[in-house]
Amino acid sequence: MSRLVDQAIADAGLADLAQARRDLDFARLEALATSLGTADLLAVGALADRIRAEEVGDRVRVFAGTPADEGRDVIVVAADDAGDRGQVLRRVACARILGPRAARVRVDWMSTGIELAQVALGFGASELAGPVLSRRGLPILSDSTKKVKGAGLVSSQLLKKKELSALVRMAGRVPVFAPEATSSTSAPSDGGGSLEHP
Amino acid sequence: MSTLEPIARKVRAGERLSFDDGVALFRHPDLLAVGQLANEVREHLHGDRTYFNRNMRIEVTNVCVASCLFCSFAKLEEGAPGSRTMKLEEAWRELEIRMADPPSEIHIVNGLHPGLPFSYYEELLRGFLRIKPDVHMKCFTAVEIHFFARHYGMTYEEVLRRLMAAGLGSLPGGGAEIFHPEVRTRISDDKATAEEYLDVHRVAHKLGLRTNATMLYGHIETFEHRVDHLLRLRSLQDETEGLQAFIPLAFHPDGNGMKNLPAPTAVDDLRTLAVSRLLLDNVPHIKAYWVSLTPKVAQVGLRFGADDIDGTIVHETIYSAAGSKSPSGLTYDELVRLIREAGRTPVERDTLYRVVRELPREAMPEAAFKVKDRKAGRHLEVL
Repeated sequence: MSRLVDQAIADAGLADLAQARRDLDFARLEALATSLGTADLLAVGALADRIRAEEVGDRVRVFAGTPADEGRDVIVVAADDAGDRGQVLRRVACARILGPRAARVRVDWMSTGIELAQVALGFGASELAGPVLSRRGLPILSDSTKKVKGAGLVSSQLLKKKELSALVRMAGRVPVFAPEATSSTSAPSDGGGSLEHP
Repeated sequence: MSTLEPIARKVRAGERLSFDDGVALFRHPDLLAVGQLANEVREHLHGDRTYFNRNMRIEVTNVCVASCLFCSFAKLEEGAPGSRTMKLEEAWRELEIRMADPPSEIHIVNGLHPGLPFSYYEELLRGFLRIKPDVHMKCFTAVEIHFFARHYGMTYEEVLRRLMAAGLGSLPGGGAEIFHPEVRTRISDDKATAEEYLDVHRVAHKLGLRTNATMLYGHIETFEHRVDHLLRLRSLQDETEGLQAFIPLAFHPDGNGMKNLPAPTAVDDLRTLAVSRLLLDNVPHIKAYWVSLTPKVAQVGLRFGADDIDGTIVHETIYSAAGSKSPSGLTYDELVRLIREAGRTPVERDTLYRVVRELPREAMPEAAFKVKDRKAGRHLEVL
C-alpha cells in the first residue's frame, strides 16, 4: 500500500479508526463508526482493502448460488435496488472495517450486479456469491433472467465460471471456487480457479 | 511494484504526465490509489459538481458503408433486414412527441449512408429548429463529416459551414475508436483515419464549434495504444482548446465482428476514467457515459475522475444493439438520484456546459454501519 493511500486515509479523518482496527479495539471502532458514513468513499475503501489484504490475503472464494451457512463469521452484503445502490461499496468497506478479524465479507452479485461486485473486491470483499452457468450454457440455479443471443438482451447476472475467474483476476485477485456452495457440485470446471478444500 | 509517488508529485505540481506515466497508471495494481489521484484532480477542477443534461438521441439511419468490427450495424445496406432510415417527418416526430418535457439537446449519430442527398441532413436540422428554435443540435461525428466531405465533394469546412447554417451547434465525439494504426487498420480500416478524425475537429474548432472526443477501449488494443490515443487528443487540445469533454466508451461485444472478445470489466472502466482524467490535463470534462458503463458503474465513476454523467438520452440504439445492459433512457429524477447517491452535487447544464440549474446536494444519511450479529454471533450482516 502506497504512502499516497496512507495520506488519503489520514486526510479523510480515518487514522484513528485505522489504529483501532490494528488494535482490534472493537469498542473504539464502534464509537468511531459514524465517520465512515461521510468520509471519502475511496479512502474508506482503501482502508478496508488494506485490512482485507492483511487479514485474508488475495484469494476470493466464489460460490455458485447461495452457500449453506457455514457457521463461521460471514458478512453478506446485498443491494436493495430501491434504496441503496449508491451505498453498496461503502457498506462492503464498513463490513470489513467493523467486522471480526478475518471475516468473510461476501457480496451477492445477483443483487448488486456483477460490475459492482467486481469493484467491491477492492473495497474489502473476499467472497462472491450468485448464480453460475454450467458449461452447456444452462443455469445451475433457477433464474428468471433470459439470455437472448443476438437480440441484445444479455443477462447481467448469469456468468460462467471462466468469466467469473477472469473478473476476479482483472481485479488483481485469485479466484477460488468453493465446492461447498449449494449446487456447485454439478458445476464443471472450465478453466476457472482452483477448488478449495475446506 | 511501481510506485505512484512520482506521478502524484507531478500531478500536484501541475506538471504534465508523460507517455510512460500513462502506461504506469494503467498497469498499477492499486486501482483505488489511481482513483484517489484522479479524484483529486476532478475535485480541484469541479469540486462536487456533477453535470448532466436533458438530451435525446436519434440515429436517423443505421445503413452504413463502413465495416467496423465493433459495430452491430457494419456494412448494413438499405433494405437489408434490420436496416432503417427515417423519413424526415419521422425524425422530427421524435422531438414533437417530447415537447411536453423537451430536451435541450438533440444528439444525432448515424451510419454512413451512401444514398441520401446532403440536403437530407440540412433539412433534418432545420426541421428540428422549426419545432424548438432554442434546441442545441450536437450532430454528426467527425467520421460522418469526413464521409460527407468525400461523398459530396466538399472540404470539411464547406460541410461544416453548410450544417452550421442549418443549425448545427457542436460535434459529438464518436468515431475516434483507437487512433493507433496497429489497431485502427484492424477494426475500422475503411472510414476516417486518426489524422482525418483529428483534422475534422481542428477545422470545427477553427469555425468556433465545440466538440467532444471519445475512445473505444477494451477490445484488441493495449494500454500503450490507449495512452497514445489520449496524448494525441491532448496535443489537439493544446492547439485548439476546442474539446469540451472526453468520453471513454467501453466496448460491447454482442452482435458484431468481435463477439468472441469479452467486454471490459468495471475495474477496467474505472481505471480508464481515472487515467483519462490524469492524462488529459487540458480537457475540462471527463464523462462517465452511463449507456456504455451501466448507471451503477457510471455512478462509481464519479469518484474516479468523471464529472459528467451525460443526459437523459431517450432512444439509444447503437449500444443496445451491441448488448448493453443499460436502459435506453433515464429520467431527470433518476439522473439526479444517481448523482446524489454518489455524494455529488447535480448540476443541469446545456450542451456547452453553461449551468441551467444547480440542485442542492442531498445530505448523506447518518452513518448506520454496524455489524449486527445474526445466529448467535456466527453469521453477520451489515445494517
